[in-house]
Amino acid sequence: MLSTNIRIGNPIYFEILEFLQSEAEVLDSGEFRKWLDMLDQEMHYVMPVRTNRERIRGEGFIGDMYHFEENYASMKKRIERVETEFAWAEDPPSRTRRFISNVRVEQTAEHEFKVKSYLLLTRSRGNEPDYNLVTCVRNDILTRTGQEFKLKTREILIDQTTLGMDNLAVFF
Amino acid sequence: MAIQKNVGEDVCLSDGTKVRDLLDLDEGYISARAIGDPEIHQMEIEKIFSKVWIPVAHESEIPNKGDYVLRYIGNEEVIVSRSESNVINVVLNACTHRGSPVCRSEMGNSSHFRCPYHGFTFKQNGDLIGVPAHKEAFGDAFDKSQYSLVKARAATYAGIIFGTFNDSAPPLEEQLGSLKWYLDMMLSHTNGGMEVIGVPQRWTVKSNWKLGADNFVGDAYHTFMTHQSAVQLKLVPSGDPKFAFYGVHVSCENGNGLGLIGGPPEYEIPPFYGVPQDIVEQIEQKLTPEHQKAFRRLAYIHGNIYPNMSFGYFSWATEDGKNPGSYLTLRQWVPKGPHEMEVFSWVLVEKEAPDWWKELARETYVRTFGSSGMLEQDDTEMWKNITRATKGYIASSKLKFIYRMGIDRKPEQGDWPGPGTVYQGDYSEANQLNIWRQWQKLLTENSE
Repeated sequence: MLSTNIRIGNPIYFEILEFLQSEAEVLDSGEFRKWLDMLDQEMHYVMPVRTNRERIRGEGFIGDMYHFEENYASMKKRIERVETEFAWAEDPPSRTRRFISNVRVEQTAEHEFKVKSYLLLTRSRGNEPDYNLVTCVRNDILTRTGQEFKLKTREILIDQTTLGMDNLAVFF
Repeated sequence: MAIQKNVGEDVCLSDGTKVRDLLDLDEGYISARAIGDPEIHQMEIEKIFSKVWIPVAHESEIPNKGDYVLRYIGNEEVIVSRSESNVINVVLNACTHRGSPVCRSEMGNSSHFRCPYHGFTFKQNGDLIGVPAHKEAFGDAFDKSQYSLVKARAATYAGIIFGTFNDSAPPLEEQLGSLKWYLDMMLSHTNGGMEVIGVPQRWTVKSNWKLGADNFVGDAYHTFMTHQSAVQLKLVPSGDPKFAFYGVHVSCENGNGLGLIGGPPEYEIPPFYGVPQDIVEQIEQKLTPEHQKAFRRLAYIHGNIYPNMSFGYFSWATEDGKNPGSYLTLRQWVPKGPHEMEVFSWVLVEKEAPDWWKELARETYVRTFGSSGMLEQDDTEMWKNITRATKGYIASSKLKFIYRMGIDRKPEQGDWPGPGTVYQGDYSEANQLNIWRQWQKLLTENSE
């Protein structure tokens, strides 16, 4: 099947937008088990490291180094970690807010959708009045079974080369 | 900022406090003021980062002629490059004409560096080779040979590239001392040595740079509490909360040091970190019997090359039911002021290893000790909060950190085959005091 552009106004577009917004709310609320339920068991989740290069070198992403390189089992470990009483980097938890925009959808198979979105993540930690900010593009593949979507792959293309956060103890 | 430029024992801060009075090395106390005081920070830039050999990169990052990367010596950007004649150079990334950076991409390959402001062009070794409209602009009197980029000395050991702007620094090998034996074991145990996978991750932490060095050089003790989650989740395969105790604590010359940890008693660990069999065969050919005896039984190594490059050689299980992965990580704590650092964190693996082993190493590193690492995250949380909690006037004047763990313990070689001052059991603060001893020496010695 050729890929089909799913335009704004198409009911599927809104269903996918709803999925992304629910996901953001689940993560912002710290309901990580609920998030795990939104992930495909075969999921692949990466955030490539970016470098500062000349224009001729493209966007500067490095193919073989990542800030995240996860599958379902490793993501489960990360979530189990947050559930211990010793996940100091997120306990007390940060206040995060995920703002999603510029959502673009393509249908690539009968039950498969390629979704591109911009994400602005704000992280407020401790009593510090300053926010940590991360902006990125997410290239997702969502699969649909019945009325339910699952996140199968996510590639997070970050805008910073040197990250401005003490650690990446939050999800994207 | 007015730092009193007294020399020797009387080097003072502007309020008259002597630097040496911040430390009680015999009794094991260090004033909190030594961590993040802005005057102290400026002294460190001048008397440590401008004086000793600073590790900046690994040779495998610039394997070809013309390859370069941008790094830091102290808070200044340097170009680390391999010249057309295959020589490694370290030069300051600032044009001699007006100071504009001559290299603006963090890595690449180029036969020269050209300033974007007026077009002065330099060779990889910093020599000035081109000046636009030379004759019209400067006439005949302009001698290009006088205007090279500021050159550092460069030297390598076990693949690690060091630079220093101090022309009278003793040879690198002298600075490393008996740490060399351990660098040989970790970085040169196969014919091709270790290679960097990809590029270093870079991120900022609101921590003084010394806390990274202090933690890695000797703090096996923090793992019990800081990394309790890793124990509970069996990232630590033995599941023993005291997993980082079972080893030796080794102090080397000039502030260098490390801890080398095996499995708990009765717990069997795979030899040589579980490397594939053909790598085992190379290790058995390449390393001395003493090296092999040490390396064979290890699962965790932590340490620091003074002042600001730490290393970790670790084995962790990040997925239930899957074999643990192992890797060597190097990390440079680049000072960005008294209360912030930029972390460069590399992962390295045997050059000859099969792809599956390299991929397992990378994946294990990313999940445990990279920017998002399940252990690393909790370390940076501690260092950030220490920096915040100790920068006030009261903490600076009243709080003295306790460095007394193992202070009454005598060195004991036991059956450990490696050099250095060896202590049995890795819960100790001997290495941290060793760092502070070197720090005091560099800050107070009569230089210039």
